[in-house]
Parts: sequence; C-alpha cells; structure tokens
Amino acid sequence: MTSAMSPSERRLQKELMSLIKDPPPGVSVDAEQAEQNLLQWTIHMEGATGTLYEGESFQLQFKFSNKYPFDSPEVTFVGSNIPVHPHVYSNGHICLSILTDDWSPALSVQAVCLSIVSMLSSCREKQQPPDNAFYVKTCNKNPKKTKWWYHDDSV
Amino acid sequence: MGNCFKRSTTDDISLLRGSDSVREPSSDPVGPPSYQEALSVQSSPPIYHPSPSLTQSATQLSEEEQIRIAKRIGLIQHLPTGKYDGSKKIRECVICMGDFMVGDALRYLPCMHTYHMTCIDGWLMRRLTCPSCIEPVDAALLTSYETN
Repeated sequence: MTSAMSPSERRLQKELMSLIKDPPPGVSVDAEQAEQNLLQWTIHMEGATGTLYEGESFQLQFKFSNKYPFDSPEVTFVGSNIPVHPHVYSNGHICLSILTDDWSPALSVQAVCLSIVSMLSSCREKQQPPDNAFYVKTCNKNPKKTKWWYHDDSV
Repeated sequence: MGNCFKRSTTDDISLLRGSDSVREPSSDPVGPPSYQEALSVQSSPPIYHPSPSLTQSATQLSEEEQIRIAKRIGLIQHLPTGKYDGSKKIRECVICMGDFMVGDALRYLPCMHTYHMTCIDGWLMRRLTCPSCIEPVDAALLTSYETN
C-alpha cells in the first residue's frame, strides 16, 4: 500500500500518524476524516490556559496540494467559532508568514499548529484586523492568493 | 590591459543549458528533478517553479525568471553530493520525513544540512534556501569559497 503512494501522500501519512500518536497540547486531528482524504484535514484546537482564548475551541482546516511539502498547506479557521485576533479575519483567513512567504518543507502540520497556538496566546486584546470588512468582501477564497503584508511580529 | 571581458563565456552558457552542460557531465548525473521531469516530457514545455507556490511552463516565464532558474540549476549542480553510508550523525531527511537508507543519494548544503538529493533539488528549484536553517544557499556557497 505504501509503495503506491506519492511522496506527498507518504509524508502526509507519516505526519498524520505522529499527530495522532503524539499531538501537541490542545491540538487534535480528526483522524477518520484525514484517513479518508489525506489532502484535507480538520484540526481541533483549544485556546491555551492563561490566555485570552482559554475555554474556547476552534477548528482549523488544512488543505494540501500534491506538491506538499514544497507547496505550503492552505490553512484557515472554519466552523462557528473564528478567533477574534488582529491576524485572523472573520472569514477564517490567517495572516501568518510561514503559511506563504516563509514556508519551508522542514515545517509540518504540527509546526504550523504550534505557531498558531502561539500567535493566539501572545494576543493582548481581542480585536479584528483593522481592514477586516474590506478584506473579507474583496479577498480570494484561497488565502494563499492574498499578497499579505507582514508588518507586525508582536502578536 | 583592459580586455578581460573578451574571455570565453562558456560558463554562462553552461548555466543556461542546465544539466546538458558539456563542462562537467559526470559531476551530477541525476541533476535537479524538475529539470529531469522536464526532459522526459518532450511534447510539452518544461515546468518550473519561480517561487514555491508558482508553477509555470518554460514558455510562460519572464526573461528575469528564466535567468533566475538557469542560475539556480547551475548552482544546484555545484553543490556536493554523496551516498548515505549509514552514519549515525544524520538519520532522516526532513523533507520526505523518511529515514536515510544506505546507498541513498544525498546532497550536502554549505550550512552542513543534508537531504535526499531528489528531495532537496525539488525545493532548491523553487527557492534557494536551506529548509532547516533558512540560510540562503547561494550566499553560504560564496562564503565557503572565500574561506577555503
């Protein structure tokens, strides 16, 4: 079975196994769904204790192309609770440089999850991005098509 | 004497031709995979990736992108390669997340990070940075030439 897989499927299968076996705190993957379609995963994420998002839970959707890990995954918040955060638009798009310009094939789903947990945890005030209304009205459905202007590393 | 520009320009030509370069046919028989991919599909133009998420056929590339890709091919071919000998110091290729097996073809970057040759070449054809330390490979290569 493994031999018939493409390199990207093989790597995704390995990542999925390690995420199921040894997930970072507050992160879990919908294993059944990911096993059915390796190219689209749903990940549950708990707001870390002691942060503004404590007690909240979120869902992230990861979409992979057959060029993964050369091509970064498309990652958005989905579901009924989108975190209110200066880098998260109300349509679920996330402004995070490792998801586009700073992506590296040495990163992984786990690394992206940790980075998003840390982005949420360092937030001091729950606020939508200043251009939220305009962005949500005009953006492409795929956040990777957005020319993000990364300007603030502090949150 | 002022005529240094009249020297032969074979080096430039070899960069532009990529792996069919006549200067060092034995140094890198496999070459970057996307270039190989391109060679095997004779009927359609080769596919390149000016940046990681951009896929374009050779005919769609701007002149600037063509030059950038030609430089990349030339530079990748100058990076040392080898075969995995079972060394305990390196065990896994972080790109495919697979363990190195004795005899696997490896490529060594100037920052000393090591990957499967096919894995790293696929990335370097998109971006000339080390996936692990984000060190620009071309700058590091120049530094290593200067210090040697």
